[in-house]
Amino acid sequence: MTELLRIEDLRVHFQARKGLIGTIPVKALDGVSLTLEKGKTLAVVGESGSGKTTLGRAALRLVKPTGGRIFFDGEDVTNLPDSKLKKFRRRAQGVFQDPYSSLDAFMSVSQILEEPLAIHSIGNARERTDMIHHALQDVRLSPVEEMAAKYPHMLSGGLRQRVGLARALILRPDFILADEPVSMIDASSRTEILYLMRDLQDTYGIGFLYITHDIATARHFSDRIAVMYAGRIVEIGPAEQIVDEPLHPYTVALIKAVPEPDPANRLRQRPVIPGEPPSPTEPPTGCRFHPRCPSAIEGTCEVIDPPLIEVRPGHHVACHLWPEGVH
Amino acid sequence: MRGGLQTALTELLSSTTGKVGVTFFLVMLLISLYAIITNPLDFGTRLWNNPAAWADNPKNVPPAWTGIFEGSRRVNHTVFEASEPTEVRNTTRGIESVYTFNVDYTFDEAPTFTSFSIQNVTYHGSPPSTSVSVMRPDGRSLSLYRFVVPAPRNGETPPILRYQQTPFRVHLSGEPSVAVNVAQFLQDEFQVNISSSRLVGDIDEAVFGIPDTQGGGFQPLKGEYQIVVVARSQNERDSIEGVKFVLGGSQFGMMGTDSTGRDLARGLIFGFPVALAIGLITAVMATVIGTTMGIISGYTGGKTDILIQRFSDVLSNIPLLPILLFLAFILGQKLWIVIAILIVFGWPGMAIVIRSMVLQIRSGQLVEASISLGASRWRIMLRHIFPQMAPFVFAQMIFFTPAAILAEAGLSFLGLGDPSIPTWGQILDQGFRTGAVYVGYWWWVMPPGILIVLTALTFVLIALGMERVVDPRLRTVRQ
Repeated sequence: MTELLRIEDLRVHFQARKGLIGTIPVKALDGVSLTLEKGKTLAVVGESGSGKTTLGRAALRLVKPTGGRIFFDGEDVTNLPDSKLKKFRRRAQGVFQDPYSSLDAFMSVSQILEEPLAIHSIGNARERTDMIHHALQDVRLSPVEEMAAKYPHMLSGGLRQRVGLARALILRPDFILADEPVSMIDASSRTEILYLMRDLQDTYGIGFLYITHDIATARHFSDRIAVMYAGRIVEIGPAEQIVDEPLHPYTVALIKAVPEPDPANRLRQRPVIPGEPPSPTEPPTGCRFHPRCPSAIEGTCEVIDPPLIEVRPGHHVACHLWPEGVH
Repeated sequence: MRGGLQTALTELLSSTTGKVGVTFFLVMLLISLYAIITNPLDFGTRLWNNPAAWADNPKNVPPAWTGIFEGSRRVNHTVFEASEPTEVRNTTRGIESVYTFNVDYTFDEAPTFTSFSIQNVTYHGSPPSTSVSVMRPDGRSLSLYRFVVPAPRNGETPPILRYQQTPFRVHLSGEPSVAVNVAQFLQDEFQVNISSSRLVGDIDEAVFGIPDTQGGGFQPLKGEYQIVVVARSQNERDSIEGVKFVLGGSQFGMMGTDSTGRDLARGLIFGFPVALAIGLITAVMATVIGTTMGIISGYTGGKTDILIQRFSDVLSNIPLLPILLFLAFILGQKLWIVIAILIVFGWPGMAIVIRSMVLQIRSGQLVEASISLGASRWRIMLRHIFPQMAPFVFAQMIFFTPAAILAEAGLSFLGLGDPSIPTWGQILDQGFRTGAVYVGYWWWVMPPGILIVLTALTFVLIALGMERVVDPRLRTVRQ
């Protein structure tokens, strides 16, 4: 097991306008640490505003971190200037949420796929055509010649996302950030895309950082899951353990919120997490989840910020309910 | 991509609007080329604004083709010119060179004027004399005018040269001595007594007509006239190189004339290259600068953004007209200054709009995806942001073209046009200033207006055709 991406105590704060001249920091990420191994998938799960997308953007160095460090394949890329990022850019790619806006509507599929090759000056015209065709075959877009000549507006959401995936693949990256890659796609093509990503992972040994709000798919398609809440990781561990035996009350609530396709459930009230996610400008004191937590310990949770503790091998939780681990 | 230009052209020509627009544009381009080739570059100063160049043209007359719609036949403007005499006679009084011009007069009215001129006279010894007379179809002959070339000045030695640069020209219709001759003629031949001073306005009516016994005026006399010019000299080496007789018409050329007798067709044709130059240079420069500034401002952000935006705000809030008036007074009425000012004050609006469009795109996933591919900021601006702006930019450029032409026309209208370069705006302005609109000289004010509109239409049609080129989403799929 070799480490591909290591994030240590990563902080990303944005300056929000307040009043005419004042600014106020928005703590999108506030001390996140995780590691991703080569050829593995780490899912990052959380509500909107939990900071999972910011984490993904920071991992691709699309935002400059305020603090903490990012190591890619052993190299510190946290503060590399844009001019020295080219090697990293070639090895780390992204597949984005919206297949309608992440592809250039003014370029044909072959132009879109040729662009990464042009940027990194790879191959001549003939080699590029071969690589483009190969990438299209990889994402199972056929007939290849016909697809290469199309423009994005001629394709469905699922097909567009395959083009997005092909664009990320064509440089043979070691790491792909998949930021909610299927959330804007028809349900029918979602699993197809996810299976396709897993196949490609098996073929090329790509490490995926899979950002999603859907904990059910995360269990199926990832090796490990990190649950984020208000800019922090509250629980991280092997996928099955997180879903089958969640320890953090927030994770528990998230899993309970997943609808089950059972007609008997129709009239049953499903448990929902009460309240709203906290404001990132003024996070609650102590444990950030305590105002919404059903099992909050009075006198502790609102005062002391719980650290992330390894409660089982490879399974970390930040919660006062599990001070010494699980026995 | 290879063949991109060819694809663009095929696409542009595949739409009807594009086809019509391009056709119009090509016609304008051809006319412009013709105008540049056939006219001297100093057309404005040498010809257009030089009244002497148009002295032999009728004033304020409609185009020749309008005669078709008239019941009565109007006088065609005719210029008779000869450089060689028709006949040379040796008489006791000297050598007589005779120049004869035959006029087939079938018109229902008198000419608007008649004029006579001679050019390049060379003589040795005593100066030659010229006389103009008319042989009328009724057999009567009328001696109109006699003129002796000025004698040598003190110290001048033969050969004596006269009228080298500007010809000697006499407006027969207004010449008192002609009036005296015609009054005498009327007295002798028709026993009609009109004093020569009263006759001055009606000389041509009398020469080309017979007195109307009832009405007191003149009836046109149709038939074959002969204008006979006799130049008498005492030396056989004497010569006159140009003899000209002009029968002033009441209709002229393709587009008629204005109040100084200028051939409007020539001015309008010369207006084509000028209008295209003003429109295209201003539009291309303003949009190129505006787009570049807007994209840089929007994408780079920070201090650059603030600098460009505040600068644009200041420029776009300065009222253009007073500045133009002010600079025209200070720097003189030069066309290139007008173009430069239109560019300088034209780009900021563009930059502000483009910037706001870029801000929207910058935060989008396309830019993020491109950065993560390793694309440089120039690449992103040029290949991903610009194409999304392109339909707007092209539309703006094309709409800016007639706007620039109109702005120049507006300035000309205020009397700030460049006097050395005639434009449609100036022709329009002069038409308005001399009251052509109120008098009904439509041929003077309508054509320049229509040409400005047609130019605008041409660019709008091209804009519509171009839309499909710059935006592949609108393209039709061909199997």
